Amino acid sequence: MKVFVIDVEKCAGCYSCQFVCKDEFVGNDWSPYAKPQPDTGHFWMKIVEMERGSIPKVKVTYIPTPCMHCDNAPCIPACPVKAIYKRADGLVIIDPAKCNGCKACIDACPYGAIYFNNDLKIAQKCIGCAHLIDYANKTDDPGLKTPRCVDSCHTDAIKFGEYDELKDLIKNAEVLHPEYGTKPRVYYLNLPKPFIAGDIYDPEIDECLRGATVTAVDLNTSKTYSTTTDEFGDFWLKNLEWNHVYSVSITLDGYYPKVIGTVYTGKDVHLGSIALFKKK
Amino acid sequence: MVNVTRREFLQIAGVLGATFAITTQLPEGLLKEVSAEELKELKQAAAEVKTYVRNLSLGGGSWGPSNCVAVDVKNGRIVRIRPLHYDWKYKPGKDFQTWSFEVNGKKFEPPLKTLVAPYALVYKMRVYSPSRLRYPLKRVDFDHRKSPNQRNPQNRGISGFVRISWDEALEILTSELKRIKETYGPYAILVQSDFHGESKAVHTRPGAIRHFLRNFFGGCITQARNPDSWEGYYWGAKHVWGMDGGQGQNQYRRLALYDFFLNGELALFWGCDAETTPNGHNPQRMASLTCYWLKEAGKRVINIAPDLNYSAALPYTDKWIPVRPNTDATVYLAIAYVWITEGTYDKQYVETHTYGFEHFKRYVLGEEDGVPKTPKWAEQISGVPSRTIKALARLWASKRTSMFHCNGGPTIRGQYATEPARLETYCLAMQGIGKPGVQQIQMHEWGGLNWPFGTPSRTVSAGAAARGIFGIGADPPFVPKTLIPSAILGPWPFEWYGTTLAFAPVQDQFVKYKFPPEEGYPTPRMVWTETPCWTTCWNGGNELVKAYRSSNVEFFVAQHFTLEDDALFADLVLPVTTTFENDIDIMTDNGSGQYNMLYVQYRCVDPVGESKSDVEIVETVAEKLGYDFTYGKSHFEWAKEGWANSGVQDLISWEELLEKQYYVVSVDPTWKEYAQPGFRWYWELPEGQGLNTKSGKIEFFCQWLYENFGNDPERPPVARWIPYGETHQESLFHPRAKKYPLLVVSNHPRWREHANLDDNMWLSEIATHKIRGPDGYLYYPMWIHPIDAAKRGIKHGDIVKVYNERGAILCAAYVTERIMPGAISIDHGQRLDPVYYDPDGKIGLDRGGTINLICPYKTTSKNAFGMVVSAFLVEVEKVDVFELAKRYPEAFKKKYDERSGQTTETWLARG
Repeated sequence: MKVFVIDVEKCAGCYSCQFVCKDEFVGNDWSPYAKPQPDTGHFWMKIVEMERGSIPKVKVTYIPTPCMHCDNAPCIPACPVKAIYKRADGLVIIDPAKCNGCKACIDACPYGAIYFNNDLKIAQKCIGCAHLIDYANKTDDPGLKTPRCVDSCHTDAIKFGEYDELKDLIKNAEVLHPEYGTKPRVYYLNLPKPFIAGDIYDPEIDECLRGATVTAVDLNTSKTYSTTTDEFGDFWLKNLEWNHVYSVSITLDGYYPKVIGTVYTGKDVHLGSIALFKKK
Repeated sequence: MVNVTRREFLQIAGVLGATFAITTQLPEGLLKEVSAEELKELKQAAAEVKTYVRNLSLGGGSWGPSNCVAVDVKNGRIVRIRPLHYDWKYKPGKDFQTWSFEVNGKKFEPPLKTLVAPYALVYKMRVYSPSRLRYPLKRVDFDHRKSPNQRNPQNRGISGFVRISWDEALEILTSELKRIKETYGPYAILVQSDFHGESKAVHTRPGAIRHFLRNFFGGCITQARNPDSWEGYYWGAKHVWGMDGGQGQNQYRRLALYDFFLNGELALFWGCDAETTPNGHNPQRMASLTCYWLKEAGKRVINIAPDLNYSAALPYTDKWIPVRPNTDATVYLAIAYVWITEGTYDKQYVETHTYGFEHFKRYVLGEEDGVPKTPKWAEQISGVPSRTIKALARLWASKRTSMFHCNGGPTIRGQYATEPARLETYCLAMQGIGKPGVQQIQMHEWGGLNWPFGTPSRTVSAGAAARGIFGIGADPPFVPKTLIPSAILGPWPFEWYGTTLAFAPVQDQFVKYKFPPEEGYPTPRMVWTETPCWTTCWNGGNELVKAYRSSNVEFFVAQHFTLEDDALFADLVLPVTTTFENDIDIMTDNGSGQYNMLYVQYRCVDPVGESKSDVEIVETVAEKLGYDFTYGKSHFEWAKEGWANSGVQDLISWEELLEKQYYVVSVDPTWKEYAQPGFRWYWELPEGQGLNTKSGKIEFFCQWLYENFGNDPERPPVARWIPYGETHQESLFHPRAKKYPLLVVSNHPRWREHANLDDNMWLSEIATHKIRGPDGYLYYPMWIHPIDAAKRGIKHGDIVKVYNERGAILCAAYVTERIMPGAISIDHGQRLDPVYYDPDGKIGLDRGGTINLICPYKTTSKNAFGMVVSAFLVEVEKVDVFELAKRYPEAFKKKYDERSGQTTETWLARG
């Protein structure tokens, strides 16, 4: 059974996967797998860009998102003409010949992975490059044996293969929106988790404070996260939980401790520059 | 004209199993010679998918720095463009030697496929873009039979174009060439020829026009190419340490990066964007992958820039330090202040390997001007907190630190860029540059001797296949590219220092040149360009708009794929093929950082519309004028010439190359021990010598500058902080800033190679490239911080006017934390789309968002002739596009393709 494993931390945001997906399907008819994609407007592989934090603690995270090829795909039962099917290898395909253009699958997919082709009046989406995979052993060109997005990725952020070959990676992986309950076959490593960042300094001597301990206690779970500041007084508490409340405090030998109070991780939090004062 | 003979065709067809071409790809003359049976076979063959190899470097020339692609073609259409797998036809380890290295037990090796830049992967949509120019065009109110003063030059860029035949186009071009030559002499023809654009050898792009005019027709004015992404290094750092081969940056690059992997700890990316600049003219993604390797190897990366560039945004960067545009000089000075006052610089090295440190020390400590260059002083100018500067200075001094660059960036292309570049070099010298792990490293242009690791055993060249080379020559008469508007508009004669050419020795900057070079030489009366993007990529684009629209230019002809930018002002526009449409070529990969390659490029698809390659146009013009520009060789023979002089002709036969299409060069097995890495040789000398400076050492006090220019306040012998001066006032400290309080950061574009690909509809779907306005137009995004946006009542997506006294452009506001307050960011290279012209001939408002229209025209400083295209003052205000559309109905009613913007139709004459 085929799976994708996507390491978000390795994605450089070059959009190559999004481009080659268009390159593969725009102007090319791969019937019976897929009819041509319109020139623009479809993103069978879509880069979702997240700008995080505030100046100067800013990061950008890119998440490549294809069709999730769910084992419990809501699009399949939603289709009144049974045009959508799951292959033995796990890939979910919309048969372009059978699709009647009713758009029920588009409404049914919670991931927004299905697009409507206004010219052909059919629903379309990522087919996992099944048209290439099925002929992989008939070519001696290694560039034609994997989905295009996989081949185009320079950091190997997108992997595709048998579940068994990739299960060591999948052990630590997550899926997008597990709460949808659709059992996606696209697994993610390093999905963005909120951070609380800032920097600590001593205004009396105008110096960054290294070695301060910054602690965040998750008031929802009581779990404690801790880090120490670097040469710039910078700290990044990473891999917290979204939409939790944290109590943040700072300690450093010889300084009065500081309690920041509660912080809500509805988004990434930059606490800015925080002054500590020496004990007199 | 038959450029592939029947015999050659059958040779190619033979080795590829009679399947390489489809019938329509045959030259017309040849088609008649093919039998019906052969034709049938060819048609059948065309229905099969065929794979070709292609160079998609947009750096121009035959030097082939690119990562090549594989192109699948069926029935005369491009199916797909994808990375080429080296192991498609060659076994790694057996047919070619691979490379790898280890750091702390971790192994690093390049993938076995070309790491292709994203631009190459959208190229199908360039070949088939709605904006492709398909036939020759003539400006509607231009008539070459009329005298020059009756040709309506004032209507250039306004009156629009009509379609004409190639016969008419060639008639116009050849008769104008003859007229200009008879009236003024051949030196009245200005040729604009440059790297930016596709790279071709047999099809000679760029350079064919100049080669023809210089070697057959009698002459032309050469546009000398300035090293446009190194301005401060070229005009500043060269005086500190020579480095003519690196345009003022460390030219000893071989294994410098490998040395950093083994010995370095801290990587300073001072405005370096390894995710963007290496995609362009020397396209490869190895630089990006290498940054991930830095992280895996435990190196620390700090990026210092006004903008959170695409490298700084990624997880491999540990820290972003925002600095106000072009105030980096003050940060370097404050770092030096910390080192001097805390005694944490390499005193021994400074003593033995540098010259004139005492002068610098006096300036830093304020003994010269009464202002100590303290971190607090620098904070007020640069916006970097003094405590951060101190921490950075101490970290730099305590860790083995290298400086990383990728060309361009906000530090190096502003006014007086000579100063931050020199100060950077001073700081590197103060930490003993050359010692293990301490280098200045290029993440770009990894060809020749610049290989960072895994050096190939051979350098490959296809140069012998080309006729002529880009306009980097300075054969008189010549004009630096930065002074082209002056060449056209005068006043003449004017003078400057240096040829401005890449690789020119530093001594050349003390030689005075003049245009016209001597009495009797004409000024330009005709312009012939094959790189029509000066206005959107060079300094003060509006000056050239004015020049192109003046009556001094009697005839202007442009060659391009699309009708855009400078070509809008042409009288005659000729459609050019993309590299996929040319009959045969030979190219190389030489700077990918992976493996060197040589390959042949067969035609993939028919020329779009009536387009011809640049070389075919010149061949045809030459023939009409009675010259043989082919030198008696077919294109096939030119390609073979390229192989015969490639440097690997003893390793692969011509026949085998034709069959396999590509050849992968083995890595030199001794690459790790090949040479002292980077600048190590200099550090190992007991006393510094051998650099191209007066003392042979690194010079804090630049002696030759002093001898030639004395105490030039704009480039004194010892580098300093110059907030503004006689030439430029692009500073928040100048009264101009009251009216124009924002500084523009203008980097190399993320989603274009300079002007290339602005029309690409797949790129236009990305929000950092285009934002659709309420009127449906695709506007270029302008990054602005929420604080500056709020002050002006601007929301994300609003259309704004960006302006100064040099003009105004429209952009869409991209409100973001990725730019510091007080600065905005707009990359260069947007397609011109003039709304109206001012009475002086310049564009008053540009809808395309062409920021270079309003950057300074004056060069780096009084005696330095680089361009100033970043860190200049503007103001921004919200506009109502519907109100503008009412005021300028003509401009706003033009026809646009909703996906890719301007097309030929946009500029066709109405009626």
